[in-house]
Amino acid sequence: MGTCIAVKHLEFRWPGAPSPLLTIPSLTIARGERVLLRGASGSGKSTLLSLIAGVHQAPAGQLEVLGHDLGRLSQHRRDQLRANEIGYIFQQFNLLPFLNAEENVTLASQFAPARRKRVQNPEQHAQSLLKQLGLAAADTQRLASQLSVGQQQRVAAARALFGAPSLIIADEPTSALDAEHRDEFIQVLFKACAANQTTLLFVTHDQGLAPMFERTIELSDINHARKDDGDA
Amino acid sequence: MLKLAWASLRNRRASAILTILAIAISTLLLLGVERVREQTQANFANTIAGTDLIVGARTGSTQLLLSSVFHIGSLNNTLSWDSYQYLTKLPGVKWHIPMALGDSVAGYPVVATTSDFFSYFRYGDGLSLELAKGTVFSEMNQATLGAEVAARLGLQQGDPLTLAHGSGGISFSDHDQHPFVVSGILNRTGTPVDQAVYIHLEGLGLLHGEFDSEHSADHDHDDHHDHASHAPPVYTLSAVLIGLEARPLALRMQRQINTYKNEPLTAIMPGMALTELWRTLALFEQALLAIAALVVATGLLGMLTTLLASLRERRREMAVLRALGAGPFSIFSLLVSEAMLLTVIGVSTGVLLLFLGLMLGGDLLLTHTGMLLRASPLTSNEWVLLAAILAAALILSLIPAWRAFRNALADGLTIKL
Repeated sequence: MGTCIAVKHLEFRWPGAPSPLLTIPSLTIARGERVLLRGASGSGKSTLLSLIAGVHQAPAGQLEVLGHDLGRLSQHRRDQLRANEIGYIFQQFNLLPFLNAEENVTLASQFAPARRKRVQNPEQHAQSLLKQLGLAAADTQRLASQLSVGQQQRVAAARALFGAPSLIIADEPTSALDAEHRDEFIQVLFKACAANQTTLLFVTHDQGLAPMFERTIELSDINHARKDDGDA
Repeated sequence: MLKLAWASLRNRRASAILTILAIAISTLLLLGVERVREQTQANFANTIAGTDLIVGARTGSTQLLLSSVFHIGSLNNTLSWDSYQYLTKLPGVKWHIPMALGDSVAGYPVVATTSDFFSYFRYGDGLSLELAKGTVFSEMNQATLGAEVAARLGLQQGDPLTLAHGSGGISFSDHDQHPFVVSGILNRTGTPVDQAVYIHLEGLGLLHGEFDSEHSADHDHDDHHDHASHAPPVYTLSAVLIGLEARPLALRMQRQINTYKNEPLTAIMPGMALTELWRTLALFEQALLAIAALVVATGLLGMLTTLLASLRERRREMAVLRALGAGPFSIFSLLVSEAMLLTVIGVSTGVLLLFLGLMLGGDLLLTHTGMLLRASPLTSNEWVLLAAILAAALILSLIPAWRAFRNALADGLTIKL
């Protein structure tokens, strides 16, 4: 299967911060895995995600994503890697309100030449993804601003999946949904990931979701930064 | 990228349209001023051609030019018929047009001259005057009208005409015992010729000789030492236009006339005097152009303000684009494209408005102000101005683009609301 994310002795601190926010000795996520990363707010979840997504840079040799040492890639190369291989779903407000659902999905290839190449017919592909995620055909041409929050998150998921990236990072994508929509959303997301052999890193502070995932990682277990602070 | 910028702008269409409008109007103003400047200068330089010297009594060159060519202001001094005779006999003089000013028809200046005026006067690139209707005056009581005078006063060939003493619109001493008759109407020239009434020198002499008792004193005085072969039609002239056999003679002849002993005279070369006068006016025109440029700057600053203000509410949009792999440079160029899109649309709208205005209002402008503005294609100067607006917009757009670039790096994927 291969490795998707490999963390080796990652230590990250924000410039000017007195102590590291993240000290993770080891973390490995295989390709195709569906992993739940759980952590309280302020535990460094978002920072870890932005390192994996390559928005911020980890120190060299400590973080590999899809075989690339992100610490050695330039900003531009990290942006390209994210564009081509990583789908990102936010908690909320994923979409550009002035584009319709389908346009929001195809927007994924705007900065991603590799994704563009993998897709023969962008509109058709977007339609099928939206259908797969349970958006009614009539809603695909509606402006994103006119969709419900649940529908918006489905469109966001479709966009993340567009052009078959290797990794999907979902940062609390269900926190704005009620329990029923939440479970349904996770189910369709699972199905779509399985169909595309996509790795899913699902981040939440919600304990109730753990049973649905094959593997759950507690950030507090792997991140030693806080404990070290406490001991000192 | 442009498509995305376009969609994003459409989303903020209220402020985008206002920005475009501001740029369009300022472009319109700038181009309008430039066009007025250019065409006024062209019209100005075209008012007289082929005349090598203008001679009048001792006065300033601008005053002589204004009164003899533009019929603006009045000359306090006149030159005598004797001096005119002297001028006509100077070697190298090919033709000469005497002019006596001072009367008016409903505010339009009356120029008393000879039929030589119609033979030798040139304007533009050497165009001669042409009649639209009728004939050049031949009788003493006939008048030939400029196109504008005829149009404004609604005069036709054969209509009677009453001259008034003085140049004002209202005169208490109308020469109504001596009505003139319109013999012909000139074609439009776009020069002050359009706004003048031309009569025979002898017609004027008759008029003044019989009507004005003040002139009778002159009669005696002039008769006293009149050495011309026959009595002159008038005793004083306002100006004389002179054409020479060879242009290079002008400089020497100017000196000769300026130092004429019997009467203090002023001779000017119209080309030089026009340039000199234009330089004075150009200052005013340049001030106008500077104001227009400042208005453009205001329009562009408005755009800058709008773009900077929009950045705050668009952090969400930027974070989404960053998540999709847009690098900071993509964000940067997105902002630049937006600014350029706004400017290009604004400038095009401005140009469109200019042409629309000129096509619809050009005739109105001509009849009301006598200003001839054509919807002619953009000149190279105007292209330079448009390019300057775009360049200024490009430079200004770097500011919000740089801000967005910095935000993109700092915010990353976190959405700060």
